[in-house]
Amino acid sequence: MVEAGGSESPRQFGDIIAVGTRPAGGGRIALADPPVPGEPTMRWSSTAHTIDEIEQELARIWAQPNLMIDPSEDGGGRHIAARTSVMNLVVIARQPEVGAKAAETISKLTGRHPSRTVVVLAADPDGPPWLDARIQAHCVLPRADAPETCTELIFLTAGGETGRHLSALVAPLLIHDLPVTVWWPGEPPLGAVPTQTLLESTDRLVVDASIWSGDGLARLRQLASLYDRFPRLSIRDFALVRQSRWREAIASVFDMPEYTPFLGSIRRMAVGYATRDETGAPGSTNVVKPLYHVAWLGSRLGMHPVAPLAPAEARGRTAPVRLRPGERPPMHRGLAGRMRSGSGDVSVVIRPVASPMPPGTTLRVEILAERRGSELRADVTAEAENVHVHTWLDGVQYMDRTFKAPRRNDVDLLGEALEVGGREPVAVETLRMAAELAGDGS
Amino acid sequence: MAAPKTKAPAAAPADPVTPAPPGAPTPGPASAPGTTPGKKEAPRTMRDLRLATESRRRVANTRALENPLREGLRLERVPDPAAFVLFGATGDLAHRKVVPALFQLWRTHLLPHEFQIVAVGRRPYTDQAFRDELRDSVRKYSRVQPVDEETWGDLAERITYHRGDFNDPTMFQSLADRLDGLDEDQGTRGNRIFYLATQPSQFAEIVAGLGRAGLDHEHHDAGWRRVVIEKPFGHDLDSAIRLNREVGKVFRERQVYRIDHYLGKETVRNLLVFRFGNGIFEPIWNRRHIDHVQITVAESIGIEGRGSFYEETGASRDFLQNHLLQLLSLVAMEPPATFDADALRDEKVKVIRAVSELSPDQVARDVVRGQYGPGWVSGKPVIGYRQEEEVNPQSETETYVAARLAIDDWRWSGVPFYLRMGKRLPKRATEIAIQFKDVPHRLFRDSATDPEPNLLAMRIQPDEGIMLRFGAKVPGLGVDIRNVTMDFTYGSAFQVDSPDAYETLILDALLGDASLFTRADEVEEAWSIVDPIIHAWAEEEAPGFPNYEAGTWGPEAADDLLAREGRRWRRI
Repeated sequence: MVEAGGSESPRQFGDIIAVGTRPAGGGRIALADPPVPGEPTMRWSSTAHTIDEIEQELARIWAQPNLMIDPSEDGGGRHIAARTSVMNLVVIARQPEVGAKAAETISKLTGRHPSRTVVVLAADPDGPPWLDARIQAHCVLPRADAPETCTELIFLTAGGETGRHLSALVAPLLIHDLPVTVWWPGEPPLGAVPTQTLLESTDRLVVDASIWSGDGLARLRQLASLYDRFPRLSIRDFALVRQSRWREAIASVFDMPEYTPFLGSIRRMAVGYATRDETGAPGSTNVVKPLYHVAWLGSRLGMHPVAPLAPAEARGRTAPVRLRPGERPPMHRGLAGRMRSGSGDVSVVIRPVASPMPPGTTLRVEILAERRGSELRADVTAEAENVHVHTWLDGVQYMDRTFKAPRRNDVDLLGEALEVGGREPVAVETLRMAAELAGDGS
Repeated sequence: MAAPKTKAPAAAPADPVTPAPPGAPTPGPASAPGTTPGKKEAPRTMRDLRLATESRRRVANTRALENPLREGLRLERVPDPAAFVLFGATGDLAHRKVVPALFQLWRTHLLPHEFQIVAVGRRPYTDQAFRDELRDSVRKYSRVQPVDEETWGDLAERITYHRGDFNDPTMFQSLADRLDGLDEDQGTRGNRIFYLATQPSQFAEIVAGLGRAGLDHEHHDAGWRRVVIEKPFGHDLDSAIRLNREVGKVFRERQVYRIDHYLGKETVRNLLVFRFGNGIFEPIWNRRHIDHVQITVAESIGIEGRGSFYEETGASRDFLQNHLLQLLSLVAMEPPATFDADALRDEKVKVIRAVSELSPDQVARDVVRGQYGPGWVSGKPVIGYRQEEEVNPQSETETYVAARLAIDDWRWSGVPFYLRMGKRLPKRATEIAIQFKDVPHRLFRDSATDPEPNLLAMRIQPDEGIMLRFGAKVPGLGVDIRNVTMDFTYGSAFQVDSPDAYETLILDALLGDASLFTRADEVEEAWSIVDPIIHAWAEEEAPGFPNYEAGTWGPEAADDLLAREGRRWRRI
């Protein structure tokens, strides 16, 4: 758990264990044993209560060359312990438990993660304004005879009014000229003014839309609108990144030259997703992941939505079904919409399926295409860690392949998000298409 | 002086595709290629014609361009289902490198689910016995430890052993039948990669056997066929040409993947990104700013029990012909117009062609050979080369080679390239050092230390990274200058494990990307640089071998090679 106060314990954040002695007022932690290559250790820890004090502490870390190396080791030119400055990482964790989890993820990325990390926690929003900061330096020895690489971590806990002025808190602590990544685990209030101010100086926003409450679509629309508002901003959504192996599997269906033309004549795309809700009624389960599948296909194939997704009406049935005791209500038919491709309309269906899998997980993607009297049906399903592809041409199976799709954890996803820079056109177009398909929510 | 080779004039000025010279004031070299207005017109030279036809063929073979769903999926691509036929499966290379690399690819889900390994060898094994032996090797050599038994089990059940002699035609026929069976049962879809991890003397025989059994044919819709050939590719120019011809009788060049594992190393690949992905280096990457270039491949190990192999090869064949010249070509080549395999390799060949061939006199002056005697390495006494097993006690085989090569083209004229490679040197290190020219005018005469010229060093192993040396003022009232280094270590900025070179190369071969493999003409051009050296040496007695002590930086003559021009080898 992350504490709001200034007291500290080196074992709080993940696996980093400071082994050594520490001066009473905070500062450099001398190691009892020489550091082991590849194992990050905390080499500095101090506290501060104002932004100015934090800045002073950060300067103090780098004013001590001994923190990094022994200058006498090198006879010729002296190594400057250059911070391998990659970027600034800002983590907005409104709740302490989210902060603790985020801190643990980041600690596992020490050495791989950027040069300066600021974790912002909010506490006691209605109390008086206050600020509490813990400043740490974590160093890792890339190899035995190399200078150490150090990264700075600042844990900010802001109380009262202070916690609401995110940009004012974070901006002075960023290393200038380096890209800023904001990782917002949980549910970012994307429309709120403090968020927008923060995003003005942000290069990359990292979110996970698949854990947003409800169907997640309202927030997804806000997310897509950020592209227009902030032309520099790139967005990395864990939900979209996690589906990469699905995309690979779906793409493989159309690799063979004789099947590629079918991409131009898709008639129907249907995605089944897991729900634990009794009826799977729209709004009850997050549908961002299934939506991304159709949005990706649609955007790659140059389709445009003509009828956004709306709850599908059961055909020929108007009156609600009266349930007998013990009988379960029928599963909702999900969302249906229509897109237009060059050669005609494509119906889009996103349908709930009762499943013990985590709600919102994609279970199946079906693609139906018709061309010159032939029908191609591709069925992509998931089972444990595998994605299976089955394809039939006029009822004759021609392809049966399996792709491994291990579930990736936040550490991998964040690590990857930090290493890949810039706007990825495929992601931008998919998110925009997803927002268009989601409609205006009316 | 060095005479340019007659058969292929360096940087032929008549060639309309040749980029503008880098030394020219404007425009920069990066902007030059492809801007010639007449380039899009009808092909004018044979090379144009070849490029034009090849690019047409390439488009037809690259599905990624046709399937719009592939866009943006490059990094996530899993190869097509395939059968991986490993010749020499019982050998050292297969056990140490190839199978551990396959396991690592499998572990990280980069191999297709429908993947089969058919191990071909002479010795009798059952499938299970062979799998058990491989498991032990994977446990020993896998770069990720411990080995997950379940994951290994998944891969192991895809391994079958096929026993037979490489000179037995029926073996290839039964192999063909077995592979057809796998297509049926395991869905490998007719895609086959033949990996030749055997003795080099068997390459031609195996390739011919594959041809006779029709295993090379890429039928319509029946999958692709590729052959991967390990180095050394020939032992001199004649044998390389002969081998290329034998391979060419069976496979088309685009089906052939010649491995030089140095090209799979992360830093070697990064060299291209460093040069052509950054704007600040290319403008100074020429004779105006660079004084000389040093390429060092130092090994602290000896010949590791491979006495008979080394007696036949020596450092020049084992390293100079391939790794060192590959590194040289990547450092010195012009920017390719695109990043595709042939554009890249065209530029590499061009620069190797521009390396002056050495006359016997020049060999005597500009090339140094050495052989280690007994000494101490890493605090342990080691025996000399002539005392190694399977080595002739009077052997004249070189375990060290240093050469001063010149590249006769517009960019590099007058810039010497010093290459050195040695066994039993004090440490293991591979490095490319670009030594820039001195400042034109000394301003800080009062400084106790003269500022040294800037140096850019690219370390390839063991700790991959890039280092830039520059002068900085020592804080204080006077003007004292000290040389400092700005050091970028891969391990500190990206703590993701770099893949092993074999993983990169095997995956590329499975995906059909030949960029990091050497082409037939590249191999031959490299031999035509090394051949005259070997011939000149054969005419003369070796210079008092052993001429360097194990654990030192090579013979004194190698230091003289630079010292006579007022330079010295970089201390590594």
